[in-house]
Amino acid sequence: MNKSETPAVLLDNTSKWYGQVIGLNDVSLAIDGGVTGILGPNGAGKSTLFKLLMGRIKPSQGSVRLFGINPWENTSPYRRVGYVSESEKMYEWMTAHDFVTTLARLHGMTREQASESSKHVLDFVGLSDVMHKELGKYSKGMRQRVKIAHALVHDPDLIILDEPLHGCDPIARTSIMSVIRELGNQGKTVLVSSHILEEIERITEQIVILHNGRLLAIGNLHAIRDLLDKHPHRIVINCEDPRSLASLFVSEDPVFGVSFPSPGRLEIKTNDLSAAHSLLPSLIVKSKQKVTSIENPDDNLDSLLGYLIGGAQ
Amino acid sequence: MDDKGRGLADTVWTRLDRKAGAIVELTIRQLRNRISTWVVLGVGVLLMVLLLSFYIDAVRESFEPIDNDGDSRDYDKDGYPMGQERKYGTSDLDGNQYPGSSFLSIEGFIDSNDNGRFVSGNFSWQGEALFEPSWIDENYSGFYEVWMPPVNWLEVEECPGDDESINNEQTWDFAWGSACLIGDSDDDGLNTYYVRGDWSGEGSATVLEERSLTWGHITDPIFIEPDPPGLYVDEDGIDCFNSEGERTVCPASDRLSGSHGFDDDGDCLFPNSESAEKDGEAQRDDSNQNGIVCDVLWTTDSDGNEVIGINADNNVDEDPNDEEYAGEIGHRTFIIGVGKIAFVLLLGLFLPLFLALGLVRDETENGTLHLLLSKPIHRGEFILYRLLGYLTVSGGYVIVLSLIVGIITATLGPGNQIFRFSDLPVWLGIGLATTFVLAAYGAIFNTMGLISPKYGVYGCIVFGVWEFAMGFFTILNPNWTVSSISVTHWALQMVDAIVLLAWPDTLQWAEMGSAYGINNALSTFWHPPVHDLGTQSGFVALLVSSTMLLAISSTMVFIGQSVFGKREIM
Repeated sequence: MNKSETPAVLLDNTSKWYGQVIGLNDVSLAIDGGVTGILGPNGAGKSTLFKLLMGRIKPSQGSVRLFGINPWENTSPYRRVGYVSESEKMYEWMTAHDFVTTLARLHGMTREQASESSKHVLDFVGLSDVMHKELGKYSKGMRQRVKIAHALVHDPDLIILDEPLHGCDPIARTSIMSVIRELGNQGKTVLVSSHILEEIERITEQIVILHNGRLLAIGNLHAIRDLLDKHPHRIVINCEDPRSLASLFVSEDPVFGVSFPSPGRLEIKTNDLSAAHSLLPSLIVKSKQKVTSIENPDDNLDSLLGYLIGGAQ
Repeated sequence: MDDKGRGLADTVWTRLDRKAGAIVELTIRQLRNRISTWVVLGVGVLLMVLLLSFYIDAVRESFEPIDNDGDSRDYDKDGYPMGQERKYGTSDLDGNQYPGSSFLSIEGFIDSNDNGRFVSGNFSWQGEALFEPSWIDENYSGFYEVWMPPVNWLEVEECPGDDESINNEQTWDFAWGSACLIGDSDDDGLNTYYVRGDWSGEGSATVLEERSLTWGHITDPIFIEPDPPGLYVDEDGIDCFNSEGERTVCPASDRLSGSHGFDDDGDCLFPNSESAEKDGEAQRDDSNQNGIVCDVLWTTDSDGNEVIGINADNNVDEDPNDEEYAGEIGHRTFIIGVGKIAFVLLLGLFLPLFLALGLVRDETENGTLHLLLSKPIHRGEFILYRLLGYLTVSGGYVIVLSLIVGIITATLGPGNQIFRFSDLPVWLGIGLATTFVLAAYGAIFNTMGLISPKYGVYGCIVFGVWEFAMGFFTILNPNWTVSSISVTHWALQMVDAIVLLAWPDTLQWAEMGSAYGINNALSTFWHPPVHDLGTQSGFVALLVSSTMLLAISSTMVFIGQSVFGKREIM
């Protein structure tokens, strides 16, 4: 592989305004190798970031480089980039094989090379048995995988996926996640955006958090989480007798309070989420109760953002 | 071999080809998948079927002999066709005059400036005089009953004024065919009348100054067999003489100048039969004033290779064989007319309006643009390849369509040969000119769609109307400078140039058409190309007009690229 010295993705004090609205505000970023999750609620600047990377818009300030090249002026970096757009739109009348082959030829492959590569990638994303069906007949998850296949067909070094799990059913989600992890293991640079913390958590530890166009945090998810875990969290347990289960919890150290929001529900308040979770299995076994579910309502991006923003103030 | 295992064949150029091929193919398949494409292409085929049905109808009709000069008809219903009446010098507008009918055999006349102004005797008179009759034929019917009735002796009134005023050459404002009574001024028991018109009687006539009188005897009618009208159809074809003075066929490859033509039916007479009678023999016509009576003057251009004018004396070569001439002229008119209006103007405008306007814009609207723009393709390349894809579909369609119509007309067309091979280059040229138009409009419409995705289509419609109007102006008068600010002008010039190359004698046919009254619109639909840089060469004109169209197309692609290249795509 033709690895250059420069990082795959480099943003240097990059800002983008849409008139009065700020899309991205003074973001500096360098990403190279492995899977990176781009986290942020809707409107945080994820799409703006990706559009800048894909050369569709021009930065208002600062610079964007893909493999050291400005993508607004030069399309050559796209030989090494695979992009999975958020858009659902495809050529519905084409078969998946046709679709991937056609787009592969835009990388300068011959018809035969393109056909061969597209069979290979469609097999990789698990669609080899349906690749001669029209895209219009595909389910959401299958379409998402076709999009990933088309982005991978030329064996890119950098893969950018915009909300690849959005709207997929759990099975499709699992298979797409494993595809992304596999790509990371192959040593490629992968950017995955999402507004759901849990999804990213299952794929990678390396994250970038965007909020209101600003770069809020960058680094290892666990390091960030550890900080977060020390803050008050709730754990909601649905069980037959919440009160008897609560009696077991109140005496434990990480727990500082219990409440019963509705019949059959127990809410535990804790200062150390991981410690509390490690206690859970033994205490439930001890209570001999049938527990139907355990929820972590505070363990989401909103809480994380709330914490990060609060910490910044 | 590099580290990705690419062979030597994998150069930049072949990769560019492959990308181009992929986008062209994608565009073709997208167009194929749209219903509107099939509708607009189907309408084009329907239009051609319709025009061809007109053609077949017209070709069959023009093969029947046509009386181009109309002399097989009998306007005055006297049983003699006009051609026969012309030969005998009788009027075809007066039923009393026909070959063999009685006429005034002139025995003498007094002109307005003759000296002796008195005559007497028993005659048929024609003119104006003071007449002292001893006998009047009150039943005299004259010769020109319809237009100039004889003097009505039953309604004669006294002349106004007196003798004085008559001798003072006072003019009586008489209608032709009337008389007035002056009275018996010389007391010889005979009244004197002032008469104007045709009359018959015995007496003495005094012609006043500046008046004239003719007299003679009426001949007895003789019977002349009326000719069948069919004799006066195709009775006088186009004749040409070669250098040895032998009669040859004119529209052959040899171009001619000088005096030609032969009055096969002998009707080339001076139009005024009265003066023909005067010298005792028929006067021959020389209305083209080249000093040779009853001939046709052919004029060629300075190179001598193109007939640019045909000027015939009256009634010479005036009714040529229609299968030979009208067929050929009609055939060429059809091809040029269809090529210019149906292909260049209609297909040339509507195909791009339906197929090219959304080449890039639709991709934006459908949200599939990102699929293509995330590939290592410059946006400019993308526009160019899209246009190539569109041009493959529309240009291929137009060329195939023109060749099919061409094969049909070449098979059905007039002439001795089974298949008119000389038509095919013209049809191919029409297809080619239309393809150039498609390229230019494709680039223009696509660029308009890029500049303003919302209002571009309105711009295109306004532009289309302008183009349509300029197209018609160019067909009617290619010299009008304003129309050259349009794409159609150059495309129509291209057709003109190709026609000049493939059928160099088209101008000759057009000239023959207008000179010999062969009903046609060839000179309306075809003019020699204007932009030939003064060379009169069809090849130069073709080069100039196609270069112009290419320049317009590439300028528009360039503008489209710079607009699209700088656009942020949300």
